[in-house]
Amino acid sequence: MPGKTPDKEPVENGGYRGGKDLKPKGKKTSKKDADDEMTVVVPPSKASKQSSAPPPNDAEGDVAMDDAAEGEVKVDPVVQAINDIKSNYALLDRAVALFDARYSLRALRSISSIRKRLTPDILAQAISETFPASSASANAAKQMLQTIGRSDVSLGRQPGPEMEIDSEPKSSGGKNGAKKEVKEVIPEVDVFLGILTQVLLHDNKQFKQGFEFSRYLIDRIRSVNRRTLDSLSAKVYFYYSMFAEQIAPLPPSPQSPIVAIRPTLLAALRTAVLRKDVDTQASVIVLLLRNYLLTSHISQADLLVSHTQFPENAANNQVARFLYYLGRTRAIQLRYTEAHEHLTAATRKAPSSACAVGFSQTATKLLLVVELLMGDIPDRATFRQPSMEAALHPYFLLVQAVRVGNLEDFETIIADHADTFRRDGTYTLILRLRQNVIKTGIRMMSLSYSRISLRDICIRLHLGSEESAEYIVAKAIRDGVIEATLDRERGFMKSKEVGDIYATREPGEAFHDRIRACLALHDESVKAMRFPMNQHRLELKNAQEAREREREMAKEIQEGDLDEDDLGGEFEGM
Amino acid sequence: MAERDLTNLLSHLKSNPTLSYPETTALLSRAKLLLLQLNALTPAATTTTTNQPQLLALARTTYEQGALASIRAKNPDAFTRYVSQLRPFYELSPGSGGRDEEQNKITGLYLLLLLTQGLYGEFHSELEALSSATGHAGGGVDVEGDRYLGYPIRLERWLMEGSYDRVWKAMKKGEVPCEEFGVFSEILTSQIRSEIASSSERAYPSLPLSSTKSLLFLESEGAVVEFARSRGWTVKDGQIFFPSAQETGEEEQEQEMSQMVIENTLGYARQLETIV
Repeated sequence: MPGKTPDKEPVENGGYRGGKDLKPKGKKTSKKDADDEMTVVVPPSKASKQSSAPPPNDAEGDVAMDDAAEGEVKVDPVVQAINDIKSNYALLDRAVALFDARYSLRALRSISSIRKRLTPDILAQAISETFPASSASANAAKQMLQTIGRSDVSLGRQPGPEMEIDSEPKSSGGKNGAKKEVKEVIPEVDVFLGILTQVLLHDNKQFKQGFEFSRYLIDRIRSVNRRTLDSLSAKVYFYYSMFAEQIAPLPPSPQSPIVAIRPTLLAALRTAVLRKDVDTQASVIVLLLRNYLLTSHISQADLLVSHTQFPENAANNQVARFLYYLGRTRAIQLRYTEAHEHLTAATRKAPSSACAVGFSQTATKLLLVVELLMGDIPDRATFRQPSMEAALHPYFLLVQAVRVGNLEDFETIIADHADTFRRDGTYTLILRLRQNVIKTGIRMMSLSYSRISLRDICIRLHLGSEESAEYIVAKAIRDGVIEATLDRERGFMKSKEVGDIYATREPGEAFHDRIRACLALHDESVKAMRFPMNQHRLELKNAQEAREREREMAKEIQEGDLDEDDLGGEFEGM
Repeated sequence: MAERDLTNLLSHLKSNPTLSYPETTALLSRAKLLLLQLNALTPAATTTTTNQPQLLALARTTYEQGALASIRAKNPDAFTRYVSQLRPFYELSPGSGGRDEEQNKITGLYLLLLLTQGLYGEFHSELEALSSATGHAGGGVDVEGDRYLGYPIRLERWLMEGSYDRVWKAMKKGEVPCEEFGVFSEILTSQIRSEIASSSERAYPSLPLSSTKSLLFLESEGAVVEFARSRGWTVKDGQIFFPSAQETGEEEQEQEMSQMVIENTLGYARQLETIV
């Protein structure tokens, strides 16, 4: 292993530098080409692929380097992390230059890989190397340093002497520093470092400081007012609300700070809508919904949903979250069909990677309960998925009880797992299931007996009295749960012959449902297709060429090279 | 000074629950005017920050009395208004153990009102808020165990199940937690009666008059006959026959179904065209 590492390292760093070096080139060409024509997208995306490729690469390299750390360069992981952070500046730069939010998003995506290695020292060093002491945003940098408890680090520091030992990063770091002296740090980089600060504070559970800092950061974003900050500000608001949730009196209590941040979020929402800032809009709507649901302000959540329009082209994760919260609201309001629709979509849209397993678990739990409430029995396969099996176990027992219609089992399961259900926020929904259990029980009995006395029903289902049983059965008949008649004088229930289900409209409806789902899927995938920018110009050009060809052809026809009879004949043939 | 007036007024209101509605409204509007003078009609930032908890409590009591009075006068609109005015005050009340008797009573009444109006969605939204507020605070009241809150919750469960006899029993005198809850009994009775009637129509081919009486919780057979007439049932030789809805509906259903099939198929064709 140690023998391998030296080989590996230069390659990596080289790749790095390559990315960095490419940056100005890419920028230049793109600027030149921007007004020109369709090739714009190609060079920067190639370049950015190179510069954005290293992070995952590095993550592997990091592990290897840890092994070799004793023998080789000691500071490497730190330098690596700092370089990782800095490599994102290029993306942000490009996002500003090209006015394309996709680059900012790419920078944001790299946070998750940086996050694992982030320490106050690394961040402090990155900040101090980025901001020259004299710059206008030095204040902001100082604020960040203070928040992470490294206020003694001075700004404008050239990459430390320890870096000089390492030949490769030195050149790139030095170049970077020199460039930054000349140019003012763009606010995007500033905010990006701010987000990293937020992440760091959140991971270190310093919620109070994080909350204060987020407030300051939001003020800064508002004062700067740049459209290229939009996708970054969405993230800032996200952490802002996360911090608020974690501060003492915790959410369900009405004194929690999350109530106090509502005006800020609503203001942000209004601004985002006015500026057509889709990212912030989507993320703030989701945050507000979450906020309302945490304090159980269901009607407010409902009003929010009815008065806002969730942006159609929002990020997939935000859509999934939004659908989940919406499904939750609808489930509480007894609108199960809608809830089911939203929750199914949410579970399907949930990212399949391991880090989002919590979301899909929660969404699936709720979906299961809603399915039960609708009278359906969830698929057995749902419970077999390895990532879900353990988490869903109480729900599995619940489904079994409901399926069999055993009221006694049902009650004991609720009592046993009350804490789990309460924690999942499904407890009140599950309590509503009682009537479904009874209905299933009655249905089972009506299927197995052609005639059964009310007394027996009462005993089997553990109902209070025979009268209760009579009313309940009568209600079940009216609701169409069973096909039967009651005989009051002799006190029994007589089941009707079960008709041919294929004579009813049921198969047609099931068929229709499936076709509709397929069509919706098709529509959505068509909508989800992304077309490269300015591609239409290429097509226009092609069209122009085609037209020219046509004209030539027409000319030729006129000149008599092509036989008009031929063409006519062709048309007839068609 | 205004504060003392208000306290007197409220104690007067509290000690005389038998006052007629116009009198109480007069007193209440005076109380509200006083509140306005004290600038405590709604909880504003000033009233919460400056330590005036007694003012808030006074405003709360005023609204609570108003709510109870409007329930006694069977004025649901006024009651709903009072409840929504009370809500910010309840939100402000210190979290743990802050739910007192009166608050639970008002909330319970509100739940019952929603239940009688058939607003189940709102009922459950309210319930969700209650259970999460008490469930996590630690040491909070058990929602179902509470005398006032448990009542509407149990009623709802029984109504949903269809155990109407239990609902009926719960509405009898002595079972009702307090007299204000009794106001709703009448509405609930007619509600469950029509529920029973509609399920009986489907469940029984015919019913003897005598047992229908107990089934519908009616006092006499004469009342049964009257009720049967109002629902359009035919009474013959001491038996009630229900008009069967089956035959008339069948043909329509058939037509509706073919309509649906045609519509769907046309839809598929159109979609296919757009795809291909």
